Amino acid sequence: MILLRLIASLTLTILVVSPATAQLVSSVPEITAFDTPDDAGGSITVTWPPADHVPPATVYRIYLAESSAGPFHLAAEIDAGTSFQSEDTAVFGFAEENANRHFAHVKSYAGDNGESSTDMVTGRPYFVRLVVRSPSGELRGAVTTAVEAEQNYFKWSKLNNFLLGTVFSIIIMLSIALARRRELYIRRIPGLEAMDEALGRATEMGRAVLFIHGLRDMAQIPTIAAVNILSRVARRTADFDAKLRVTNVDPIVMSVSQETVKEAYLEAGRPDAFNPDDVFVVATDQFSYAAAVQGIMLRERPAAHIMMGGFFAEALLFAETGAQTGAIQIAGTDSYTQLPFFITTCDYTLMGEELYAASAYLSREPRLLGSLKGQDIGKAIFLVVLIAGVVLATLDVSFLSQAFTAR
Amino acid sequence: MIERLMNLDRRIIFLFVFAGVAVPLLMDFSFPIKPTDNVRAVYQQIEHVAAQKDGKVLISFSYGGGAAAELQPMARALLRHLFAREVEIVAISLWPDAVGLAQAALKGMADEAGRKYGTDYALMGFKPGNSVVILGMGQDFRGTFPTDNFGASTDTLAVTANVQSLADFDFVIDLAAGESIDHFWIPYGQERFKFPLAGGCTAVMAPDLFPFIQSGQLIGMIGGLAGAAEYETLIGHADKATSGMRPQSVTHIIIIAFIVLANVTFFLSRRRSANTTSHQDLA
Amino acid sequence: MIFLRRTFPLILAFVVGVIGILVFYVPHSVAQALERDLAKWFMIIAAFAYFLGLYSLMTLHWTRVRARQPGWGYSLVAYLSFAVMVVFIVYNDGHGPFHAQAEAGGYQWLYLNVYVPCTSSMFSILAFFIASAAYRTFRARSPEAALLLLAGLIVMLGRVPIGAYISDVIPDAAQWLMAVPNMAAKRGILLGVSLGAIATSLRIIFGIERAYLGGGEE
Repeated sequence: MILLRLIASLTLTILVVSPATAQLVSSVPEITAFDTPDDAGGSITVTWPPADHVPPATVYRIYLAESSAGPFHLAAEIDAGTSFQSEDTAVFGFAEENANRHFAHVKSYAGDNGESSTDMVTGRPYFVRLVVRSPSGELRGAVTTAVEAEQNYFKWSKLNNFLLGTVFSIIIMLSIALARRRELYIRRIPGLEAMDEALGRATEMGRAVLFIHGLRDMAQIPTIAAVNILSRVARRTADFDAKLRVTNVDPIVMSVSQETVKEAYLEAGRPDAFNPDDVFVVATDQFSYAAAVQGIMLRERPAAHIMMGGFFAEALLFAETGAQTGAIQIAGTDSYTQLPFFITTCDYTLMGEELYAASAYLSREPRLLGSLKGQDIGKAIFLVVLIAGVVLATLDVSFLSQAFTAR
Repeated sequence: MIERLMNLDRRIIFLFVFAGVAVPLLMDFSFPIKPTDNVRAVYQQIEHVAAQKDGKVLISFSYGGGAAAELQPMARALLRHLFAREVEIVAISLWPDAVGLAQAALKGMADEAGRKYGTDYALMGFKPGNSVVILGMGQDFRGTFPTDNFGASTDTLAVTANVQSLADFDFVIDLAAGESIDHFWIPYGQERFKFPLAGGCTAVMAPDLFPFIQSGQLIGMIGGLAGAAEYETLIGHADKATSGMRPQSVTHIIIIAFIVLANVTFFLSRRRSANTTSHQDLA
Repeated sequence: MIFLRRTFPLILAFVVGVIGILVFYVPHSVAQALERDLAKWFMIIAAFAYFLGLYSLMTLHWTRVRARQPGWGYSLVAYLSFAVMVVFIVYNDGHGPFHAQAEAGGYQWLYLNVYVPCTSSMFSILAFFIASAAYRTFRARSPEAALLLLAGLIVMLGRVPIGAYISDVIPDAAQWLMAVPNMAAKRGILLGVSLGAIATSLRIIFGIERAYLGGGEE
């Protein structure tokens, strides 16, 4: 789609000028009017440099008309010294000269009675005029040629976001493809290695393993990661013939967890050992859930507590109560604010991305390992950009930081 | 003795904490409260909105009964300020159990300031979906909230009659006990529709929001009961948050004292073990 | 059946996922209208999840009451509490269930005077648990732990007025700790977690990640 960019000819039109203002504003700046980019139409953008010798209380007025002969209606009023292009980087970018040009995005103009406003119509030609109004008089500029507001098909201001997202997605997909061909290294995650120890301990003591889901719903990433871990835990408890109890706060997560545990028991050849009542919703409210799970911990005394997912304030309630019972506790969360509580009260904690990496770590599936590798490559790129950006910004070279700025 | 201190019964600690909370509530003393820059920024933005004609603020209530002790005083202080400066308020809720709290705070502060429902403020109620509610409001406020919490059409309320989208608000404040500020309001609201946004949150969530203040996506933040007390200081009206600083200060001192005691006993225990080991070596 | 349980959800996830990404970059009114409609559909689905949660909870407690499982009395209390709230919702301060929510009435009273104090009390237990957890675990076992402990003490003092009362340096130091090293660490974790979320989202959209369908392996 072609943006219409029109430049008005510089015309000096003086309508009302008192002798005193002959030394003040002497000409109306040249304006540029074009379709506002990256929108759904109904808006045009007008830019102009500051007028010469601008006295205080000067305002710039933008007038619109559907015909070059008028009538013109007031569409915007900008105080001198305000509304510079540098304030809207999404449209104008980071050019230095933006600090010296005014702008106005115009979407409507005053009606015939001067009170109600009329929205601009997409596709209709409008004529624009700039008027400089100071306390001692008014100068009218020339009328531009017709400009139309149009619908746009792509937000060019989001191009950096789009390119980054595409590059990262390609890296992930390529890494997954690569992982199918060769084994990728993944470092030790102590919390996951301790899982077998915890489950074995529960089996020896003849006590249950309590798997506690977080508060987030099935659409959230940490819950998906938790379900993946649950699958491995269920497989192990089926192999060891240990009792597994799974608490949930969300019924959809419960349904998915039930299916997951059932499949795991089927794979282990122990379908008889699966009891759907062992995967249940205890409560749908945060603190009701906390109270219920604490009750289960204190009454039933499971030997191992595995807390995986997104947690909030109830995290410490779980972990501290569990610590009282002497159970071995393994927690994993991406909730930054709850990590300190888990770290101080649990035997092992999976922090942030370690939770996401857990399913790849436990299963060693190529597609999951590949995805993990892609994330690492993405992080490496960010590290390089961060260091380079800091060095360049220190030297007052800002193109890299601007390239990564969300506009 | 050292072993007993190392494994101190937690009920003794609970007793001290209980005393640290209960006793100061029954006494009357205070410490001067110095507002921080993040809280002051929220105050100044409201003053800026108040200086404009027909300033309008959207407050999102995203907390439940659990966090009410921290966030309800914050809400009251903000509403008191907004009503005093005659700024119009539209309230929504992203949590189902926040509606009752929002209603109580709005009614209480509106009655105190003599403000009228529908003209000066409105409660639009709860809508599920978090991010999609914000996206919906960003494009079409009336389509997302066709009626208020009490069934009145959005078109009939003076305070919402001219609101088409989030861009029509001069300031948006989210009072959050969960992740709604950084997970929903910033990526789906502020980044898309570029309105001034501030957050009020529980004290434990406050560290989460510092990167967004530094990047300018949040213009300010009120963190926890202490933040609410700072805001009450700025508006010159001490309320529950200010009185809550007494037990909070004392309890922090008690917890610090226990931590120091734990470390002293830890080092004494380590030294005793080292001495015992060296005696055994000599023997 | 396999098509409905496996293939169709995967196709739906792919189509909706791709559309959701594209509408972010396309400002055209058709894309914006699509985004508005998707948002409304999602709100309707999210609302249905509440009914699902209610059904699940009621079924769970009914099973416990019927089988007289240990603790079945609490399940009865859950049923009674639910019934009382429903009565007040239906009564709606005399306006009936088809009128919009009344401003006052039994429901609002129960909410403010029973539900809110109960949940606040549960939240307040954290104060006690933090104290006992801190006593048990905040020990300077290593130089790093000692540094962390010192930072924690400064922030604890700096965030309450008594810190400023003791010395003006304490709140300033606390603010610096929050705004500089804490923020740097938080930003690093945020970058990593966001990359992980993008990777997982891509796996879901392209059907590589299927845990949300239940059943483990495909």
